[in-house]
Amino acid sequence: MLKQEVLKRKSLVIDEKEAVSHIEEGMTIAVGGFLLSSHPMALVRQLIKRGAKNLTLIPANSSSLEADILIGAGCVRRIITSYCGAERYAPICPLFRVFAEQGKLEVYEVDESHYYSALKAAALELPFFPDRAGVGTDFPKVNPNFKLFKDPLKGEPLLAIPPIAPDVALLYAAYSDPYGNIQPLGTGFGDRMIWLAAKKVFVQVEKIIKNEEVKKFPERTAYFEVDGIVRAPYGSHPFAGPGYYIEDGEHIREYLAAAEVFAKEGDRSKYDAYLKKYIYDIKTHTDYLERVGLRQLLALHEDIGIENM
Amino acid sequence: MKQGYTIEELLACVISRHIEDGENVASGANALVPQAAGLLAHFHHGPNMRFYMGQTWTNVFNVPMVQIGSLTDYRAYRGNAEYCRRHEEGFDRAFYGRKKGIFSTFFIGAIQVDRYGNLNMFGVGDDYRHLKFRGPGIIGLAHVLNFMHNIYVYATNHTKRLFVEKLDYVSAIGYGDGPNFRKKWCLPGPGPKMCFSPMAIMDFDEKTKRMRLKSVHPGFTVEQIMENTGFELIIPENVPTTEPPTDEELRILRTRVDPAGLLRSSG
Repeated sequence: MLKQEVLKRKSLVIDEKEAVSHIEEGMTIAVGGFLLSSHPMALVRQLIKRGAKNLTLIPANSSSLEADILIGAGCVRRIITSYCGAERYAPICPLFRVFAEQGKLEVYEVDESHYYSALKAAALELPFFPDRAGVGTDFPKVNPNFKLFKDPLKGEPLLAIPPIAPDVALLYAAYSDPYGNIQPLGTGFGDRMIWLAAKKVFVQVEKIIKNEEVKKFPERTAYFEVDGIVRAPYGSHPFAGPGYYIEDGEHIREYLAAAEVFAKEGDRSKYDAYLKKYIYDIKTHTDYLERVGLRQLLALHEDIGIENM
Repeated sequence: MKQGYTIEELLACVISRHIEDGENVASGANALVPQAAGLLAHFHHGPNMRFYMGQTWTNVFNVPMVQIGSLTDYRAYRGNAEYCRRHEEGFDRAFYGRKKGIFSTFFIGAIQVDRYGNLNMFGVGDDYRHLKFRGPGIIGLAHVLNFMHNIYVYATNHTKRLFVEKLDYVSAIGYGDGPNFRKKWCLPGPGPKMCFSPMAIMDFDEKTKRMRLKSVHPGFTVEQIMENTGFELIIPENVPTTEPPTDEELRILRTRVDPAGLLRSSG
């Protein structure tokens, strides 16, 4: 009797807890997206629940409250950022600002250009990437990791940007098939560059589609070969999920009200109450969505017009 | 609304007049007035312009209405986008290197600006690790100011706190310390073009590269502007009053660019 194993292509679908179990204290973590859109919040919340500490955070290249909440929850020792603000909700993220001012958060100052230079250097295994951004400014003074040098061919002044390779990247996209062919809706922001440089990548998606669907439009595949896919509908909430829902202004204001009391008065009771309500007291992403409420979620669909702005 | 329009509406109209057809316009986060100015220019006189929305390039000349708002609100560009930019590719020469290049026109803000249009977005305070006030970060402006041809500094207020004698930190270069700085540091682009504030329009003197008063908005005086600027502005002999919005500009602004009235709700 022949025993034959049926060979099967491996599905990469895992749950949110398993994804963040790969993140250990002191690691360098990238969180993708851009401003108020496309952040892998189901994974970010699980990361906070896990109590990860002393992380170096590489948030989106123009980051927002997804960085602020990781900072406020005490997970981040150092942030590599070109910008941390919430557009018309808050020009500067409150806890980013206050933790930096108090010396509790180390800021590795970069221009958006440096961010990609650093990832590119890591992806290409180069000792540095040259960049003209910041030449003549105080960048080398505030970020001594950057070195001003004269190029060997023409003698022009440039900055040497050291490589940055995330240990783990958490990204968000609309679709993936079970095998890790990631298809975002819209531009995908800077997530491909994070993927190129990162050692491990976990992607949270709205929907897991069939491999046949991927093959219909393979040019939509932004990147592939990831370490795990987590299915999390409304997973970018309270931020926007392009093609699915806009940002939840009411929830963002709820967060900011609590964060601003913490930032201005040092009183963290409201902030802790927020964290308890939406992170510590909930077990899974589905619990979170139940806490936010169906009525709230259904109000975020894209065709409702300008009233929700 | 003393004159039948808000300062924000005035600024949007005034700025839009400086944007020419064929330019490709973008503005930074949290900058409603420049967004409005770009769209207004597009609808008013720019059938060949491109407008940068939500990381996409679009031409919406024939679209009846595009509401200004969030940069990442994809409702504005869904159905309008012609090109989806991968964020990392927007630093390349093709995007910046031509006068009417793919990114030809950009509006920038700051927490401090000096007489040479240099910017500070890092923060205020002597000790960088314990700043008195931590700023949001320079975004991509160190890079942008190196290359782009039509850079407009947009100031949300006109105060000595913003227009300072000396920046606490230089985050991005306008003209450095004078006319030779950019050449010395091999910075390719021409430097910032103008500065708009709720009180005045300023540009940069061709010889010295110092900020110069160009016009004063209705309701303000040259003395007020000098009092509220932390450095010495070049004041020409004759300083005209900024032309107020035309009826046509206001009509387009209020029906096609900002029907939600975000520019009419101060605060």
